[in-house]
Amino acid sequence: MKETKVIGETSLREGRYVYCVVDSGAKLRLGNIGIAKAEVYTVPHRDIAAVVHACQSQPYQSEDANKVMEWILSYNDVVDGATEQFGTVIPFSFDTIVKGDDIAIENWLGRSYEKLKHDLERLCQRAEYVVQIFSDQDKLVEKILAENQALRELKQKTSQMPERAGYLLRRKFELGLKDAFNATRAKLAAEFASKIKEHAEEMEIERRVSHLPENYKDKKLIVPFSCLVHKDKVKGLGQALGKISQEGYAVRFTGPWAPFSFVKPEEI
Amino acid sequence: MVIKVDEGNLKQGLLGLVVALVEIIEEALERQALRRIENGRLTAEEETRLGEALADLNEALKRIKKENDIEDVVDSVIDGLSEVTDVFLNPERWEEEMKKT
Repeated sequence: MKETKVIGETSLREGRYVYCVVDSGAKLRLGNIGIAKAEVYTVPHRDIAAVVHACQSQPYQSEDANKVMEWILSYNDVVDGATEQFGTVIPFSFDTIVKGDDIAIENWLGRSYEKLKHDLERLCQRAEYVVQIFSDQDKLVEKILAENQALRELKQKTSQMPERAGYLLRRKFELGLKDAFNATRAKLAAEFASKIKEHAEEMEIERRVSHLPENYKDKKLIVPFSCLVHKDKVKGLGQALGKISQEGYAVRFTGPWAPFSFVKPEEI
Repeated sequence: MVIKVDEGNLKQGLLGLVVALVEIIEEALERQALRRIENGRLTAEEETRLGEALADLNEALKRIKKENDIEDVVDSVIDGLSEVTDVFLNPERWEEEMKKT
Protein backbone atom coordinates (compact mmCIF):
# COMPACT_ATOMS: atom_id res chain seq x y z
CA MET A 1 0.00 0.00 0.00
CA LYS A 2 2.86 2.32 0.95
CA GLU A 3 4.62 1.55 -2.31
CA THR A 4 1.46 2.31 -4.33
CA LYS A 5 1.18 5.67 -2.59
CA VAL A 6 4.76 6.63 -3.45
CA ILE A 7 4.20 5.69 -7.09
CA GLY A 8 0.96 7.68 -7.01
CA GLU A 9 2.69 10.77 -5.64
CA THR A 10 5.42 10.55 -8.22
CA SER A 11 2.98 10.17 -11.08
CA LEU A 12 0.81 12.99 -9.72
CA ARG A 13 3.62 15.38 -10.46
CA GLU A 14 3.67 14.38 -14.13
CA GLY A 15 0.83 16.46 -15.50
CA ARG A 16 -1.69 19.22 -14.95
CA TYR A 17 -5.29 18.95 -16.06
CA VAL A 18 -6.22 22.41 -17.42
CA TYR A 19 -9.87 23.43 -17.02
CA CYS A 20 -9.59 27.04 -18.15
CA VAL A 21 -7.55 30.24 -18.04
CA VAL A 22 -9.00 33.12 -16.02
CA ASP A 23 -8.59 36.88 -15.95
CA SER A 24 -7.03 37.04 -12.49
CA GLY A 25 -3.51 36.76 -11.17
CA ALA A 26 -4.60 35.37 -7.78
CA LYS A 27 -3.07 32.18 -6.42
CA LEU A 28 -6.03 30.31 -4.96
CA ARG A 29 -6.97 26.88 -3.69
CA LEU A 30 -10.49 26.13 -4.91
CA GLY A 31 -11.06 22.88 -3.00
CA ASN A 32 -11.62 19.25 -3.95
CA ILE A 33 -14.12 20.11 -6.69
CA GLY A 34 -12.29 18.61 -9.67
CA ILE A 35 -12.60 15.41 -11.65
CA ALA A 36 -12.62 12.44 -9.25
CA LYS A 37 -12.56 14.93 -6.33
CA ALA A 38 -9.12 16.25 -7.30
CA GLU A 39 -7.97 19.43 -5.62
CA VAL A 40 -8.33 22.37 -8.00
CA TYR A 41 -6.14 25.47 -7.74
CA THR A 42 -4.87 28.33 -9.82
CA VAL A 43 -1.37 28.74 -11.26
CA PRO A 44 -0.90 32.47 -11.88
CA HIS A 45 1.35 34.33 -14.26
CA ARG A 46 1.22 38.15 -14.16
CA ASP A 47 -2.52 39.01 -14.19
CA ILE A 48 -3.86 35.71 -15.58
CA ALA A 49 -4.03 32.17 -14.20
CA ALA A 50 -4.69 28.60 -15.26
CA VAL A 51 -7.24 26.59 -13.25
CA VAL A 52 -5.74 23.11 -12.87
CA HIS A 53 -5.42 19.95 -10.85
CA ALA A 54 -2.39 17.68 -10.59
CA CYS A 55 -2.76 14.38 -12.44
CA GLN A 56 -0.92 11.77 -14.43
CA SER A 57 -0.03 12.89 -17.92
CA GLN A 58 -2.52 10.61 -19.58
CA PRO A 59 -6.16 11.17 -20.53
CA TYR A 60 -9.05 10.20 -18.26
CA GLN A 61 -10.52 7.07 -19.81
CA SER A 62 -13.03 4.53 -18.62
CA GLU A 63 -15.38 1.96 -20.06
CA ASP A 64 -17.87 2.87 -17.36
CA ALA A 65 -20.20 5.40 -19.01
CA ASN A 66 -21.50 6.61 -15.62
CA LYS A 67 -18.00 7.35 -14.42
CA VAL A 68 -17.20 9.30 -17.61
CA MET A 69 -20.45 11.26 -17.24
CA GLU A 70 -19.52 12.06 -13.63
CA TRP A 71 -16.09 13.34 -14.78
CA ILE A 72 -17.65 15.50 -17.50
CA LEU A 73 -20.14 16.97 -15.03
CA SER A 74 -17.33 17.75 -12.52
CA TYR A 75 -15.31 19.34 -15.31
CA ASN A 76 -18.32 21.47 -16.35
CA ASP A 77 -18.93 22.48 -12.73
CA VAL A 78 -15.33 23.69 -12.37
CA VAL A 79 -15.53 25.76 -15.58
CA ASP A 80 -18.94 27.19 -14.55
CA GLY A 81 -17.66 27.94 -11.04
CA ALA A 82 -14.59 29.69 -12.47
CA THR A 83 -16.84 31.76 -14.77
CA GLU A 84 -18.91 32.79 -11.74
CA GLN A 85 -15.85 33.61 -9.61
CA PHE A 86 -13.59 35.29 -12.18
CA GLY A 87 -16.05 36.64 -14.77
CA THR A 88 -14.19 35.77 -17.94
CA VAL A 89 -12.64 32.39 -18.74
CA ILE A 90 -11.03 30.71 -21.71
CA PRO A 91 -12.40 27.18 -21.43
CA PHE A 92 -10.32 24.21 -22.53
CA SER A 93 -11.97 21.07 -23.81
CA PHE A 94 -12.38 17.98 -21.61
CA ASP A 95 -9.15 16.01 -21.14
CA THR A 96 -6.72 18.87 -21.86
CA ILE A 97 -3.62 17.80 -19.97
CA VAL A 98 -0.27 19.58 -19.96
CA LYS A 99 2.77 17.42 -19.33
CA GLY A 100 4.81 18.77 -16.42
CA ASP A 101 4.28 20.51 -13.09
CA ASP A 102 3.15 24.01 -12.00
CA ILE A 103 6.34 25.53 -13.37
CA ALA A 104 5.57 24.04 -16.80
CA ILE A 105 2.11 25.65 -16.61
CA GLU A 106 3.61 28.99 -15.60
CA ASN A 107 6.09 28.82 -18.48
CA TRP A 108 3.28 27.97 -20.88
CA LEU A 109 1.22 30.94 -19.59
CA GLY A 110 4.28 33.15 -20.08
CA ARG A 111 4.86 31.95 -23.63
CA SER A 112 1.18 32.34 -24.60
CA TYR A 113 0.50 35.43 -22.48
CA GLU A 114 -0.19 37.86 -25.33
CA LYS A 115 -2.61 35.50 -27.08
CA LEU A 116 -4.38 34.51 -23.84
CA LYS A 117 -4.70 38.10 -22.66
CA HIS A 118 -6.05 39.13 -26.05
CA ASP A 119 -8.65 36.33 -25.91
CA LEU A 120 -9.64 37.27 -22.33
CA GLU A 121 -10.21 40.87 -23.43
CA ARG A 122 -12.20 39.71 -26.47
CA LEU A 123 -14.37 37.50 -24.25
CA CYS A 124 -14.69 39.97 -21.35
CA GLN A 125 -18.34 40.43 -20.22
CA ARG A 126 -19.41 38.04 -22.96
CA ALA A 127 -20.81 34.53 -22.87
CA GLU A 128 -21.89 31.89 -25.34
CA TYR A 129 -25.58 31.41 -26.05
CA VAL A 130 -27.04 28.69 -28.23
CA VAL A 131 -29.92 29.58 -30.52
CA GLN A 132 -31.68 26.76 -32.33
CA ILE A 133 -34.59 27.62 -34.59
CA PHE A 134 -37.08 24.94 -35.57
CA SER A 135 -40.08 24.73 -37.82
CA ASP A 136 -43.03 22.43 -37.90
CA GLN A 137 -42.20 20.07 -40.78
CA ASP A 138 -45.78 19.86 -42.10
CA LYS A 139 -46.20 23.64 -42.04
CA LEU A 140 -42.98 24.12 -43.97
CA VAL A 141 -44.03 21.55 -46.60
CA GLU A 142 -47.40 23.30 -46.86
CA LYS A 143 -45.65 26.65 -47.38
CA ILE A 144 -43.35 25.19 -50.07
CA LEU A 145 -46.26 23.60 -51.93
CA ALA A 146 -48.30 26.79 -51.74
CA GLU A 147 -45.46 28.64 -53.47
CA ASN A 148 -44.57 25.96 -56.02
CA GLN A 149 -47.16 25.09 -58.63
CA ALA A 150 -45.03 22.47 -60.41
CA LEU A 151 -44.63 20.48 -57.19
CA ARG A 152 -48.34 20.78 -56.41
CA GLU A 153 -49.23 19.36 -59.84
CA LEU A 154 -46.70 16.57 -59.47
CA LYS A 155 -48.16 15.60 -56.11
CA GLN A 156 -51.64 15.50 -57.59
CA LYS A 157 -50.44 13.30 -60.48
CA THR A 158 -48.54 10.80 -58.30
CA SER A 159 -51.47 10.30 -55.95
CA GLN A 160 -53.42 8.66 -58.78
CA MET A 161 -50.66 6.31 -59.96
CA PRO A 162 -50.11 2.69 -58.89
CA GLU A 163 -47.21 1.97 -56.48
CA ARG A 164 -44.55 0.40 -58.74
CA ALA A 165 -45.38 2.14 -62.05
CA GLY A 166 -45.53 5.53 -60.38
CA TYR A 167 -42.26 5.11 -58.49
CA LEU A 168 -40.06 7.43 -60.55
CA LEU A 169 -42.67 10.15 -60.74
CA ARG A 170 -43.17 9.92 -56.97
CA ARG A 171 -39.42 10.19 -56.46
CA LYS A 172 -39.41 13.21 -58.77
CA PHE A 173 -41.88 14.84 -56.40
CA GLU A 174 -39.96 13.77 -53.27
CA LEU A 175 -36.57 14.93 -54.59
CA GLY A 176 -38.09 18.20 -55.85
CA LEU A 177 -39.59 18.76 -52.42
CA LYS A 178 -36.25 17.95 -50.75
CA ASP A 179 -34.41 20.50 -52.93
CA ALA A 180 -37.07 23.14 -52.32
CA PHE A 181 -36.91 22.35 -48.62
CA ASN A 182 -33.12 22.87 -48.51
CA ALA A 183 -33.39 26.11 -50.48
CA THR A 184 -36.08 27.39 -48.09
CA ARG A 185 -33.93 26.36 -45.14
CA ALA A 186 -30.91 28.28 -46.51
CA LYS A 187 -33.06 31.33 -47.14
CA LEU A 188 -34.57 31.20 -43.66
CA ALA A 189 -31.15 30.66 -42.05
CA ALA A 190 -29.87 33.79 -43.79
CA GLU A 191 -32.93 35.76 -42.68
CA PHE A 192 -32.56 34.63 -39.07
CA ALA A 193 -28.81 35.39 -39.12
CA SER A 194 -29.46 38.94 -40.28
CA LYS A 195 -31.97 39.45 -37.44
CA ILE A 196 -29.62 38.08 -34.79
CA LYS A 197 -26.32 39.50 -36.08
CA GLU A 198 -26.60 42.93 -34.47
CA HIS A 199 -27.00 41.37 -31.00
CA ALA A 200 -23.98 39.07 -31.18
CA GLU A 201 -20.29 39.94 -31.26
CA GLU A 202 -19.53 36.74 -33.12
CA MET A 203 -21.68 33.95 -34.59
CA GLU A 204 -20.98 30.38 -35.58
CA ILE A 205 -23.05 27.51 -36.89
CA GLU A 206 -23.14 24.72 -34.34
CA ARG A 207 -21.56 21.83 -36.22
CA ARG A 208 -22.73 19.20 -33.82
CA VAL A 209 -26.14 19.46 -32.32
CA SER A 210 -25.92 16.99 -29.50
CA HIS A 211 -28.92 16.50 -27.31
CA LEU A 212 -32.37 17.87 -28.07
CA PRO A 213 -35.20 17.75 -25.55
CA GLU A 214 -38.11 15.46 -26.36
CA ASN A 215 -40.51 18.30 -27.29
CA TYR A 216 -38.25 19.41 -30.16
CA LYS A 217 -37.77 15.96 -31.68
CA ASP A 218 -40.81 16.15 -33.99
CA LYS A 219 -39.72 19.53 -35.37
CA LYS A 220 -37.31 20.26 -38.19
CA LEU A 221 -34.17 22.13 -37.19
CA ILE A 222 -33.72 25.04 -39.59
CA VAL A 223 -30.45 26.33 -38.18
CA PRO A 224 -28.41 26.08 -34.97
CA PHE A 225 -26.29 29.13 -34.02
CA SER A 226 -23.71 29.64 -31.30
CA CYS A 227 -23.53 33.33 -30.44
CA LEU A 228 -20.96 35.25 -28.41
CA VAL A 229 -23.10 37.85 -26.68
CA HIS A 230 -22.15 40.84 -24.51
CA LYS A 231 -24.09 40.86 -21.25
CA ASP A 232 -25.74 44.17 -22.20
CA LYS A 233 -27.06 42.67 -25.43
CA VAL A 234 -28.65 39.48 -24.10
CA LYS A 235 -32.02 41.18 -23.60
CA GLY A 236 -31.99 42.52 -27.17
CA LEU A 237 -31.18 39.07 -28.51
CA GLY A 238 -34.05 37.61 -26.47
CA GLN A 239 -36.42 40.19 -27.96
CA ALA A 240 -35.24 39.48 -31.52
CA LEU A 241 -35.80 35.76 -30.91
CA GLY A 242 -39.23 36.54 -29.46
CA LYS A 243 -40.17 38.14 -32.78
CA ILE A 244 -38.95 35.08 -34.71
CA SER A 245 -41.03 32.90 -32.43
CA GLN A 246 -44.09 35.08 -33.09
CA GLU A 247 -43.66 34.30 -36.79
CA GLY A 248 -44.48 30.68 -35.94
CA TYR A 249 -41.02 29.15 -35.43
CA ALA A 250 -39.96 27.31 -32.29
CA VAL A 251 -36.85 28.91 -30.77
CA ARG A 252 -34.62 27.20 -28.23
CA PHE A 253 -32.39 29.74 -26.49
CA THR A 254 -29.93 28.42 -23.89
CA GLY A 255 -27.02 29.92 -21.96
CA PRO A 256 -25.00 31.59 -20.68
CA TRP A 257 -22.28 29.03 -21.33
CA ALA A 258 -18.50 29.30 -21.20
CA PRO A 259 -17.48 30.43 -24.72
CA PHE A 260 -16.24 27.05 -26.00
CA SER A 261 -17.13 27.81 -29.63
CA PHE A 262 -15.16 31.05 -29.65
CA VAL A 263 -11.74 29.92 -28.48
CA LYS A 264 -9.26 27.88 -30.44
CA PRO A 265 -7.05 26.11 -27.90
CA GLU A 266 -4.91 24.71 -30.72
CA GLU A 267 -3.77 28.26 -31.50
CA ILE A 268 -2.70 28.93 -27.90
CA MET B 1 -12.53 7.77 -24.94
CA VAL B 2 -12.95 4.03 -25.41
CA ILE B 3 -15.93 3.01 -27.52
CA LYS B 4 -17.37 -0.32 -26.52
CA VAL B 5 -18.08 -2.46 -29.56
CA ASP B 6 -19.88 -5.76 -29.42
CA GLU B 7 -20.61 -8.04 -32.35
CA GLY B 8 -24.23 -6.85 -32.68
CA ASN B 9 -23.19 -3.20 -32.59
CA LEU B 10 -20.51 -3.75 -35.18
CA LYS B 11 -22.83 -5.58 -37.56
CA GLN B 12 -25.53 -2.93 -37.22
CA GLY B 13 -23.03 -0.09 -37.63
CA LEU B 14 -21.24 -1.57 -40.62
CA LEU B 15 -24.38 -2.71 -42.40
CA GLY B 16 -25.98 0.64 -41.61
CA LEU B 17 -23.04 2.47 -43.18
CA VAL B 18 -23.11 0.27 -46.30
CA VAL B 19 -26.88 0.65 -46.77
CA ALA B 20 -26.62 4.42 -46.20
CA LEU B 21 -23.99 4.66 -48.93
CA VAL B 22 -26.16 2.57 -51.28
CA GLU B 23 -29.10 4.89 -50.55
CA ILE B 24 -26.96 7.90 -51.45
CA ILE B 25 -25.94 6.23 -54.72
CA GLU B 26 -29.58 5.28 -55.29
CA GLU B 27 -30.60 8.94 -55.03
CA ALA B 28 -27.89 9.95 -57.50
CA LEU B 29 -29.12 7.24 -59.92
CA GLU B 30 -32.70 8.44 -59.56
CA ARG B 31 -31.73 12.04 -60.26
CA GLN B 32 -29.77 10.89 -63.30
CA ALA B 33 -32.73 8.81 -64.53
CA LEU B 34 -35.12 11.74 -64.11
CA ARG B 35 -32.77 14.01 -66.06
CA ARG B 36 -32.62 11.51 -68.90
CA ILE B 37 -36.39 11.22 -69.00
CA GLU B 38 -36.78 15.01 -69.00
CA ASN B 39 -34.28 15.31 -71.85
CA GLY B 40 -36.32 12.77 -73.85
CA ARG B 41 -33.39 10.41 -74.13
CA LEU B 42 -35.34 7.26 -73.16
CA THR B 43 -38.09 5.37 -74.95
CA ALA B 44 -41.34 4.74 -73.06
CA GLU B 45 -40.32 1.10 -72.58
CA GLU B 46 -36.86 2.02 -71.25
CA GLU B 47 -38.47 4.52 -68.93
CA THR B 48 -40.79 1.86 -67.51
CA ARG B 49 -37.95 -0.68 -67.09
CA LEU B 50 -35.71 1.86 -65.37
CA GLY B 51 -38.50 2.98 -63.05
CA GLU B 52 -39.29 -0.60 -62.07
CA ALA B 53 -35.63 -1.48 -61.51
CA LEU B 54 -35.21 1.51 -59.19
CA ALA B 55 -38.47 0.66 -57.41
CA ASP B 56 -37.17 -2.90 -56.86
CA LEU B 57 -33.86 -1.59 -55.49
CA ASN B 58 -35.74 0.69 -53.13
CA GLU B 59 -37.96 -2.17 -51.99
CA ALA B 60 -34.90 -4.41 -51.37
CA LEU B 61 -33.18 -1.69 -49.31
CA LYS B 62 -36.34 -1.18 -47.25
CA ARG B 63 -36.49 -4.91 -46.55
CA ILE B 64 -32.81 -5.13 -45.55
CA LYS B 65 -33.23 -2.17 -43.19
CA LYS B 66 -36.32 -3.63 -41.57
CA GLU B 67 -34.97 -7.18 -41.22
CA ASN B 68 -31.74 -5.95 -39.62
CA ASP B 69 -33.35 -3.21 -37.55
CA ILE B 70 -31.00 -0.56 -38.96
CA GLU B 71 -33.51 2.12 -40.04
CA ASP B 72 -32.28 4.55 -37.36
CA VAL B 73 -28.58 3.84 -38.02
CA VAL B 74 -29.03 4.53 -41.75
CA ASP B 75 -30.97 7.73 -41.08
CA SER B 76 -28.33 8.99 -38.68
CA VAL B 77 -25.46 8.24 -41.14
CA ILE B 78 -27.29 10.09 -43.92
CA ASP B 79 -28.15 12.99 -41.60
CA GLY B 80 -24.52 13.19 -40.48
CA LEU B 81 -23.28 13.27 -44.05
CA SER B 82 -25.78 15.91 -45.14
CA GLU B 83 -24.69 18.06 -42.17
CA VAL B 84 -21.27 18.11 -43.77
CA THR B 85 -22.33 18.61 -47.34
CA ASP B 86 -25.53 20.61 -47.09
CA VAL B 87 -25.26 23.92 -48.84
CA PHE B 88 -27.33 25.51 -46.12
CA LEU B 89 -24.30 25.35 -43.85
CA ASN B 90 -22.28 27.37 -46.30
CA PRO B 91 -22.15 31.03 -45.17
CA GLU B 92 -21.21 32.11 -48.72
CA ARG B 93 -24.52 30.70 -49.86
CA TRP B 94 -26.23 32.85 -47.23
CA GLU B 95 -24.51 35.94 -48.57
CA GLU B 96 -25.92 35.09 -52.01
CA GLU B 97 -29.36 34.54 -50.53
CA MET B 98 -29.17 37.86 -48.69
CA LYS B 99 -28.24 39.70 -51.88
CA LYS B 100 -31.33 38.27 -53.55
CA THR B 101 -33.70 39.56 -50.83
